[in-house]
Order: sequence, then C-alpha cells, then structure tokens
Amino acid sequence: MHPISRAALRPYICASCRYGIGASRRRFGTKPDQTPDIYDVVCVGGGPAGLGLLAALRASPITSKLKVALVESQDLNKAQAWNMPSDQFSNRVSSLTPSSASFLRKIGAWEHLDTNRVQEYQEMQVWDGETGSRISFDWSMETPPFEDMRTVATMTENLNLVRALLGRIAASGDQGLTLFSNTTVASIENGSDLQASGPDLSAWPVLSVKPTGPGSETKGISRIAARLLVGADGINSPVRSFADIPTQGWDYNRHGIVATLALADLDTPPFPANLRTAYQRFLPALGGPIALLPLPNNHATLVWSTTPENAAYLKSLSPSAFLAMVNAAFRLSMTDLKYMMGIERSEQTSHEDELAWHVQHTSLPSQTPPLATAVQQGTVASFPLRFRHAAQYISPRVALVGDAAHVIHPLAGQGLNLGLADVAALSRTIEYAVSHGMDIGDLLTLERYSSERYLPNAKIGGACDLLHKMYTIPGQGPITWARSLGLDVIDKLPFVKSFLMKNAEGH
Amino acid sequence: MASLRTRSLPLHALRTAPTATRPSSFLRQISPLPATKPGNPSTLRWHSTSSVSPDELSHFSALASSWWDPMGPSRILHLFNPLRHEFIATCLADSPPPAIQDPTFNTANLHYLDIGCGGGIFAESLARTIPLDPSAASPTPTRAASMTAVDPSPTLIQIARDHGRMDPTVESHLRSGKLRYLNTTLEDVLFTSTPETPAQFDMVTLFEVIEHIDPTTTTPQAFLANCLRALKPGGWLIGSTIARTFPSWILNQVIAEAPWPIGVVPRGTHEWSKFVNPPELKSWAQEGLMRAADTATTRGGARDLEGMRWKCVGTVYVPGLGWKIVPGSEDWGNYFWAVQKSV
Repeated sequence: MHPISRAALRPYICASCRYGIGASRRRFGTKPDQTPDIYDVVCVGGGPAGLGLLAALRASPITSKLKVALVESQDLNKAQAWNMPSDQFSNRVSSLTPSSASFLRKIGAWEHLDTNRVQEYQEMQVWDGETGSRISFDWSMETPPFEDMRTVATMTENLNLVRALLGRIAASGDQGLTLFSNTTVASIENGSDLQASGPDLSAWPVLSVKPTGPGSETKGISRIAARLLVGADGINSPVRSFADIPTQGWDYNRHGIVATLALADLDTPPFPANLRTAYQRFLPALGGPIALLPLPNNHATLVWSTTPENAAYLKSLSPSAFLAMVNAAFRLSMTDLKYMMGIERSEQTSHEDELAWHVQHTSLPSQTPPLATAVQQGTVASFPLRFRHAAQYISPRVALVGDAAHVIHPLAGQGLNLGLADVAALSRTIEYAVSHGMDIGDLLTLERYSSERYLPNAKIGGACDLLHKMYTIPGQGPITWARSLGLDVIDKLPFVKSFLMKNAEGH
Repeated sequence: MASLRTRSLPLHALRTAPTATRPSSFLRQISPLPATKPGNPSTLRWHSTSSVSPDELSHFSALASSWWDPMGPSRILHLFNPLRHEFIATCLADSPPPAIQDPTFNTANLHYLDIGCGGGIFAESLARTIPLDPSAASPTPTRAASMTAVDPSPTLIQIARDHGRMDPTVESHLRSGKLRYLNTTLEDVLFTSTPETPAQFDMVTLFEVIEHIDPTTTTPQAFLANCLRALKPGGWLIGSTIARTFPSWILNQVIAEAPWPIGVVPRGTHEWSKFVNPPELKSWAQEGLMRAADTATTRGGARDLEGMRWKCVGTVYVPGLGWKIVPGSEDWGNYFWAVQKSV
C-alpha cells in the first residue's frame, strides 16, 4: 500500500520531463554531457587542405597557442606511415604552383616532403588536337641567359604531401592539439546556454564525433565545441550542410582517367639536362584534354578527361592496349582516335597494330611527348568531373576551404592549389584576428578570408570551365577557328602569356 | 540647476522612452525633475556635473539591439576596432608605461579603463587578449591584464555583458573580474577611489567619446582632466575622435550619414559642431594634465607637462578596403590621439 499511496501523492510529471530528468542523472555518472570540450579551431577533414590549415596554424607563433582539433574518418597513422618503392608512384598526383610551394616552405612542411618523389617542370606544351595550333608555357621570356629556367609547377603525390603535413604537425608537439583519427562526425548542432555554470554556447557549433571502428583512438562519442568550425570535408561537406550554405554547379558528364606511366627516353635529350616538360593535348572529339605530367625517374602521371563511355572503354582495355591508346591520343588525328576508341576486343586488329600503322601516315608535331612504355599495375582509375561553387564560404563560426567550397575542372591542375591558397588566406585571417583581439569565429573576422578568396576562386574555376567548353566543340567551325587563333596569338605575345601564367601561378 | 543633472536622469528618460532616437525637447522638459534614485543613497555627488549627454545616451541606447550585428548600423565601428589595437601597440612601443618597462618579463601587466565602452566592442576585444594564466607571456603587444569598462547606458552595459558570455574566454574573465562592465560614469569611478584602492589605471581609452559629451553640463577640458586623473604616472590616455574641418563635414555628415546605400553611419550619430581638432585636443590635454595634478593645497603647473608625450595620427575609411592608418590625414576626419602622463 505504501508505495502506491506515495505514487498517488507524488506530483504528476509527464513522461518526457521524467525522461529529461533521468537522462541528466545518467549523464552525471559518466561525463557531464552539457559541457563540451571547447576548441578554438575544429577542422573536419584531414586532406591536404585541412592538414595544411592545421600545419599553418601550428607554424605561426601567433596562432600556435590556439587549441585545435582535426576530425578525419581515415587512419592518419597509416597516412603518416605511407611508403612506396622509389620506382612506383601513387596515381593521385597534383601539380603545385610556385605560390603553393612557397606556402608549404613558409609553414615548414616542404622539408618533410620526400623530395626524391617530386618532380619540377619548367615547360608546358599545350596544343589543339583538331587544328594543331599550340602554345608553350615557360618562363624563358623572364629568365636571363645562363640561369636555370623557373619552375612552372611541381608534381607531388597527394600521399607524399599529406605525409609531409602530418610530419610538420607532429613536429609542432602535441600541446593544444587533438587529432581525431578514424573518427566521423555523427552530428553538428548548436550548443546551449550553460546559464550560471558557464558561457552561452547557443551560437556555437557543437560536434558529436564517434569512432569509425575498433582501431580508433577516440573512445566513445565525444562532444566538442568549436569557436571556428572549418569545413575541409570535400564536395559533400557535412559542415556546409550544417551551415546551410547552398552550392551551385553542374556535372561535366566527363570522367578523369588517371594512371602512372613509365616513359621511353626522348629521341633528343632535353637541354638543359634537367629540363622537364608537361604535355596537354585537347581532344575535342573525345570530350576533353589528355595530359602527361612528369614524375621522377622518367615516369609520368596521366590525366585524361573524357566521356564516361570512353572512360569505361579505356579502363576495360589490357595494359598494352591502354598504352597504345595513350600514345595514340598524343599523336593521331581525331578521326583515327575515334576509330580506335571503338575497336572491339574480339576484332582481329589490335590497338598496338592500329597505332603503328596510323603513325606512319600522320605528320607528327615537333614536340610530341616520349612514348609511354608501361603502365604501373593497379593505377588506372577514374573519377567524375564536376563544377561546384558554394554560395558563400563563411557563416557565423563556420568557414569552408578546398573542395567543400569549390570543385573545378582539373584541366589546369588548379584544384589543390586553390585549396592551399584558401588555407593560407584563412590562416592569415586567424593570425590577424588573434593579434587584434577579434573572435576568430566572428563574421567580421571571417569576411576578410572570404573577400580574399571568393573572386580568385570563381575566376580560376570559370576560366577552366570556359576552356573546357571551348575545347569540347569538335569539327572545324568558327569557334575552333577562334580558339586556335587565340592560342597562336597568345603564344606570340609574351606579355599576355606571362600575365596568364602569373594568374595561373596564383599571384 | 546643474546639480540636478545626475545619472538618474538618463535612466529615467530611458525607461519612459526606450525607443526614442533623439527626444531632446522631451528630455529638456523633464530635466528639472528631482534627482532622487530610490534605494541608492549615493545620489549625493561630490562633483557637480556628469559628462553624460542625455541626447547621446538615448541615441546609442536605441542602437543597442543591433550593436553586435556585423552588418548592422555599428558595422563601421566594428571594422575600426582592430586599428585601435594597432595604435595602442605603437604607443606602447614608443614609450612603455612603468609596469611593462622590464624587458625580461613579457607578461601582461597593464590595467585598462575604457570610458564609454558602449556595447563593449573594444573592451571585449581587449579582454580576449588577457591571458587566462597571469604568469604566461602576453599574446599581443597590448599587454592587457585587466579591463574595466564603463558606460552610462544600462542597456548597453547589459548588451556588453550578455555578448561577453557568448565567448568562453571573455566569460571566464567576467567571472574572475579581469573584465568588469560598470554601469556608471567616469566621475563615479573617480568618486569611489580611496587612498587604499585608487581608481587609477595604466591605460585609459576614450574611443569615439569626446565628441559625444554634453557641452551644457561639462567642458571637454574638465572631462579630459578627469580622464587624466584616472591615469597612473607614465600611463597613456588613448582616444580617437573626429576633426572639425570642412572635409570632415563632407565625409562624416554629408556622406557617412547619407541614406542607404551611401551612408554607413546611422543618422544623428555625430554632431559636427562637437568635433574636436587635434590642436584643441592637445591644449585641453595639457590643461587637463595640470588640473589632474592639482591637490587640495597646490595647483599643477608647467612642470607637470615636462614628461608628457603627444601622438596623433589620422585614419581613413575607404569603402571596399576598410580602415587604414594614414599619417597626415588628421584634418580629414577621424584620427587617433594619445597623451602620456609624465612619470
């Protein structure tokens, strides 16, 4: 009787309130759930952009005291232990412009890079497969005689770069640094006002992060509040969705094929001996350009933008047939190429024979890349090409960098460079804010970053889009004539060319 | 008559007309009300005047709700704030106050008083640079150890406190008392000074204030003298204001307060006739230094000006580029000024 009467006398509490009380009691037993760990910068995404930001913040004496965290779903220890024989190369390679390289030098990450695996090139040959008009980019017009030619760009494996950035971050010590490796973001929501017991976090993003698997170092779900939440989490950025920032863009209906190739020696050795050249040929009939970018020890990385059907066809070929197609793509006419793209596996004739036969009847331009002789096993892969641009890069306590903010066509090799430029600008902004007592998550702070980066990114992304669209028009129409005239004229006007190159370099 | 104009007047006016922008005639009508403040026995003031202008008080209180909106009417003020830090840093680099003269220690040792802090734009930003650990090196050249910020508007002080709570660093300083927001006037701060706890500070800041004081109750000279009384020997009084010149009239009255989209400052923020020219300010500061040296039996004189330093530099706002310190532009409009009291 006693308990029943007590229950009857007890004031009524509805189920949800009771659940609320009980929940708070349960929390008390473990970690008080109301107070998240407070960080100055939480970066979601441990790619080159996210790690670059962290390394830059750790390198600056002004921002090195900030409490920073990085959340990455992959295993960062594995990325730091990455290793590969010196005659093999990963197929995810980026070309770093001189301004990206100087940023990496400034933050002390360059010395952590395995420089035996990076390749500078001083010259770039670009030509139109339809008309043969060509342009060569180099710094010869600004290089005095007897001096080495300036670098146009440096080819680096992304894994090498990621390892270097992780090495730089590790060298900065672990004070105020938390790496949530093997961890995903379960949710992002606004915090709450802690009333008498603490600050008002109702306008702060609070992340619940949880380990992805048993190998993770983070135990259980932890809650972290971010003064500034940086989205370096790629094209489908969860941080961007949290901030409710829309993106504009389209899919190109093209795939980029990548592969690591071994090259034959050039017929005429380069002069000077250390001169390396990158080659890009636009193939309007096949839907995009093919590019061969130099790697050390006479290797090269291939990036071939083409239609999904062609990409699927190329990936289905045997290594020798694939090589024949690559060599053909730099040499044969559009008609021959289209024919070779359709050869059935069952047919008598092979790609190699076709190439050998057609090459005899094609007049080759003076600057043809060396023959590709071997394709590294397991490196042929493809990815869809897309264009995206976020409506804005910032929102209160949120900043987007890299692919979360913009994804562009890879024909100029600028994607990673734009991401690193974002990170350089954001770290400068944070530096300025810290030294002037500003809140680094405040819109007034972040607008410095977005005003510095939004237009340059839109400009480069738009230029790549325009080039893609101009060079996917096949045949001999007026646009073909105009683009070839344009290329020929620019090639003969050194100041226009150097203006374009300086733009591409990131000045 | 003047003795009636105490702090309770604007409080009363605010409660009756919280949204009025410039109810000047209304305030004049009610100004002869007896200055009684229930529950506060300290209504008797040793000073006869408050420097607070009721018009100005209601104007800025009306802006309160948008004070911290980065796109709101105070945007131009927010953009200006980082330059204040830079100017203070140059003053300290020129001549550091005694508290930070020892080069072996890089700790944060300077105690700041911000007069007319408003919603706390400057006070909060400076508080953010106060290290949580007092023995740690100061992260910025401003070397702040504490910040006391006063403003006569209770609305704005509440805004400042509420906004401070939204930053854990600032909140912990509010909790520990390293950052204090006081709803009071400079005169009251000095009044509460006792020989044991002198209300004196290493740095006194007066940003965008001197052009807003009430000319009917006090003079800028008297107000500056009070500011300098709050300053320790060797300390800097640092401020910013606007010159009363033809370019400044064009820039600050005609262009800056023009309707949207040209104007960047709410209409009625400035009164050109209250603007101050650098030479005037310098002479008032000299006068103020001597008056601050007055004691009950002696009067300050030229010897109190011997170690004085004077700095003045103009600032220019360029739309799209923001604020820039431009030496030589003092007569165009906005400028920073600083006075260092002799040791």
